[in-house]
Amino acid sequence: MTNVRLVAVSAGLGKPSATRLLADRLVTAARERLERQGEEVEVRVIELRDLASDIANNLVTGFPGARLREAVEAVTGADALIAVTPVFTASYSGLFKSFFDVIEPDALTGKPVLVAATGGTARHSLVLDHAMRPLFGYLRALVVPTGVYAAAEDWGGAGDGLTATLPDRITRAAGELAAFTAAARQARPAGPAQTPAGDGAKEKEEAEVVPFEQLLASLRPGRG
Amino acid sequence: MSVLLISGSPSAASRTARLLDHLAGRMDRPATVLRLRDLPAEALLHGDTAHPGLARATEQVAAATTIVAATPIYKASYTGLLKAFLDVLPQGAFTGKTVVPVATGGTAAHLLAVDYALRPVLSVLGARHVTRGLFVLDTQIEPLAQDLLPRIDALLAEVPLEAAA
Repeated sequence: MTNVRLVAVSAGLGKPSATRLLADRLVTAARERLERQGEEVEVRVIELRDLASDIANNLVTGFPGARLREAVEAVTGADALIAVTPVFTASYSGLFKSFFDVIEPDALTGKPVLVAATGGTARHSLVLDHAMRPLFGYLRALVVPTGVYAAAEDWGGAGDGLTATLPDRITRAAGELAAFTAAARQARPAGPAQTPAGDGAKEKEEAEVVPFEQLLASLRPGRG
Repeated sequence: MSVLLISGSPSAASRTARLLDHLAGRMDRPATVLRLRDLPAEALLHGDTAHPGLARATEQVAAATTIVAATPIYKASYTGLLKAFLDVLPQGAFTGKTVVPVATGGTAAHLLAVDYALRPVLSVLGARHVTRGLFVLDTQIEPLAQDLLPRIDALLAEVPLEAAA
């Protein structure tokens, strides 16, 4: 069994950052679910704040430097991706979008992705569905049904009676990510590490299409 | 009583910026084009609002009565560069202003990005009025397609002459 490469991208600006905290919670939950499925999990968290200068240089020169290229390769080579952004002006942050602007349009095709966001209040929760899903939809990623939005009052809160609590949502989203990851890996022939982008890209794309029934089955409650 | 046209293209030879030059040329009032590419990119992405280069751009926004917010379409949305600039503006930076959303793209398939991606972020900054959008294909910009002129003029006619209170 090869390792599952679980990568989280966190676009938080602060230190400490609620966005990074949410990313860590999601990583922990997803790792636990994947390990329960018998996977070995390799975790990498990418802080976009640390890459801001590299992303800025890329904007100016049009070429990603070594550090940015390496981060992009980690994301495109991941078996599962967790993408977390703070909400600024009712959407993902400019830093978050600038990072994904660097990624080739077909580099995330078929990749299981969990989308998550943090904000001061619950008022901007729909960012998940109105900004993040369309972005990863364009990139043809497999976005899991549950997105996780954490408002300030969600941390340690008991929910409002209409919404599941933050830990519940994290657990559900992580379970879905683990199920999608297993399904995507099953659909891909076992073998050495993924071919780098551009090399046999067509073959890779065909191999990554997961039968719909399989995805549905992996989402049924009580599994995994 | 002035117009600020903001180009969110990171490209040096930007068709979006060229389109804004054309638009500025057809306006009946003072109009300035702000190319976000020329701002200090590092300060922008770090959200360093105190940087003099960003403070100056923020003042330009505050002084304008009309904003034209233009972006090439990247990944079916506005660019990260445009968004990074909107992120450093103070809350309610567009309060009382008329804002015109403009996008350029290689394919008409992404026209709805104007209304589904760009419009909401302009509206949340407090714009008094976000006009109809303008979507222009890359191939229509240099030289400017003549059949665009009536569309552009009709759109600009919707921008009120009086400054909002």
